[in-house]
Amino acid sequence: MSVDVFRKGGFDFSNARRNAFLEGKGMPLPKATSTGTTIVGCIYADGIVLGADTRATEGPIVADKNCEKIHYITDNIRCCGAGTAADTEYTTAMISSNMELHALSTGRQPRVATAMTMLKQYLFRYQGHVGAALVLGGVDPTGPQLFTIHPHGSVDKLPYVTMGSGSLAAMAVFETTWRAGMTREEAIQLVAAAISAGIFNDLGSGSNVDVCVITKDKTDMLRNYEMPNQRVEKERKYGFRRGTTAWKSESIRSLIASETVVPVAQLVTDEMDIS
Amino acid sequence: MQALKKGEVNLGTSIMAVQFADGVVIGADSRTTTGSYIANRVTDKLTCVHDRVYCCRSGSSADTQAIADIVHYYLQMYSQQYGTAPPVHAAAELFQKLCYENKDGLSAGIICAGWDKEVGPSVYNIPLGGGLFRQPWAIGGSGSTYVYGYCDATYQEGWNKEETIKFVKDTLALAMSRDGSSGGVIRMAVITEEGVERLFVPGTELPRFWEGKEVLGPHKPTHAADPMAIEVEA
Amino acid sequence: MADGHQHPIEHRFNPYAENGGTVLAIAGADFAVIAGDTRQTEGYSIQTRYAPKVFKLTDRAVLAVNGFQADCSEFVKRVMQRIEWYRHAHSKQMPLKAIARMIQTMLYGKRFFPYYTYNILGGIEEDGTGAVYSFDPVGSYEREACRAAGAASSLIQPFLDNQIYFKNQTPAPGAAPFVPGNLPIDVVLPIVIDSFTSATERHIEVGDGLEMFVVVAKGRDVSQLASLNAEEIPATNPGEERVFIVRRELKKD
Repeated sequence: MSVDVFRKGGFDFSNARRNAFLEGKGMPLPKATSTGTTIVGCIYADGIVLGADTRATEGPIVADKNCEKIHYITDNIRCCGAGTAADTEYTTAMISSNMELHALSTGRQPRVATAMTMLKQYLFRYQGHVGAALVLGGVDPTGPQLFTIHPHGSVDKLPYVTMGSGSLAAMAVFETTWRAGMTREEAIQLVAAAISAGIFNDLGSGSNVDVCVITKDKTDMLRNYEMPNQRVEKERKYGFRRGTTAWKSESIRSLIASETVVPVAQLVTDEMDIS
Repeated sequence: MQALKKGEVNLGTSIMAVQFADGVVIGADSRTTTGSYIANRVTDKLTCVHDRVYCCRSGSSADTQAIADIVHYYLQMYSQQYGTAPPVHAAAELFQKLCYENKDGLSAGIICAGWDKEVGPSVYNIPLGGGLFRQPWAIGGSGSTYVYGYCDATYQEGWNKEETIKFVKDTLALAMSRDGSSGGVIRMAVITEEGVERLFVPGTELPRFWEGKEVLGPHKPTHAADPMAIEVEA
Repeated sequence: MADGHQHPIEHRFNPYAENGGTVLAIAGADFAVIAGDTRQTEGYSIQTRYAPKVFKLTDRAVLAVNGFQADCSEFVKRVMQRIEWYRHAHSKQMPLKAIARMIQTMLYGKRFFPYYTYNILGGIEEDGTGAVYSFDPVGSYEREACRAAGAASSLIQPFLDNQIYFKNQTPAPGAAPFVPGNLPIDVVLPIVIDSFTSATERHIEVGDGLEMFVVVAKGRDVSQLASLNAEEIPATNPGEERVFIVRRELKKD
């Protein structure tokens, strides 16, 4: 019997059964940081406005109060991510890399539909196990383009879209106030209002409003466009007296490394064997 | 098998295709849902897989989009290699093959319809398990169960284009009014040798049938709006 | 389904919900502070931004109750009813320690279908000292100097242990040892406010508003409360213990 010492390529699923057994015994899997999120996108006359809140959660705990959810794909394409933070970050970074290579090999400006196809095929391959819910927007030679991509790999193409746990709150704003042919300023205001609805009415969303405006020749990333949730000042100072923490023993080590440098010339003049 | 995965986007749908002398009329509602939330109220479930071949998608949104993308790719390869448009049954058999061979992992109910120069108009039904059936008319999706009786009682051979459009429009409106997972607008397409004509009926102008006289007052037959032509996207 | 395992799943109505929010209480030498936020949640939704969780029971007893709101309101209603019956039967207000023992029997009475409530009782004892009693849902209770309960209890309790019980703090050489439960009111109230503003920052179910009840012993000076916009709740027996309420806004995201 020969032993296969060489590992084949691809993922290793050998721990899947062990993990399922452990889970059955009441040892749950580690919880991933999720961006229980509000993300939106909206088409206007000559571009796209994307928006996102900045809260990242681990269960009911706020893991990051000011994270970035609008990811770079190319200069003219951005992607908002909701769902498992690691999946949205990795997926968008990988697609960004492949889009750069694609643009280099074709010698053309990358298209939003290309990024959309790459994302949907990647997500479909993982059958929803890669938990990325995305709002993809950009301007390419065919004009402004806006898509949503669900974790299982389905795509919708609409003039205004929302995703994440705050998507219902944000969509309520869009469905009441959106109209065709808005100006840049109107679109930014609408997107900010939709994100605010998520921030204040959905517990998974919070903190600040990030906005990104993409036009034919320029992309403006308006990081922390609105900051309606600044931390209030504490009532007391919580400094501690030096020596507050108890200690049992003391050892002091010198962290300064010292060395003696001997010039090579000095060595050569001595009786060095050079025979 | 075919259970929708958790959180998956569903085309709880009403779709339809009907053959007539010069071509086929296909139609669908426009609702996609995740649970009770309508993720898209103006979805286009009529997907072009070649110049004269379309499919109507029902079931999982992700699965049917992926299948349609693959068939679209194969049919482009076909026309490049043979220098001629693929027949509708070639597309239908591709759908059937994908649906049958991957039946464990898919939930996709597809109606494939179109026109080709060999047989003219044809409609193929590919239901959940991956079967393949040529039919003069086919309905599908969750809303279809409500309107089998209506279709059996109403359909007749030898209709012209306008009569066929009315049949599709009325059937879909009835299905949408009874099925909570269907709704929105009606999208239709007429596929003939000459080309594809896309039709659109807004949600406010759907054909209306009996809704109870307590609601409507004495029944007045109203003239339903004619479907309007819209621009076709590439 | 997705994992391919087919096993029977028991479907049963779950009579409980978890409505978020958090409460805490701190005892001083001759006062007690009992506080709670006013947000009520279910899942990722805010049901209301103002749902009081802290209730005045008598002139010297305040109850903070947190957990499943339906059980909370039912439980408080029954406690208040029993306290009124006591007043009619004995012509005096029920003492704090008696209320505490009564709450234990009421909770344990539903040992096998518990009230899903975490209770903290605060007020003034018959000897005039500030007191805090904390309970688990089935009636186990204890008198303490401070306690946090509810959604953000795991965030606030360690802070209170450090600031109120002086845990992990060593006194300066030669200084007197720390004694828990003797902090002045102008230290305790800022600690309570900071507890809630901090919990609001890091816990999604905490926020919107803060209600702090301050119960002070008979004859105690209340001038420190004036600067905090404290509002006095009229007493049943004037001239005895007094109850004040201080309200603050919390962040709403």
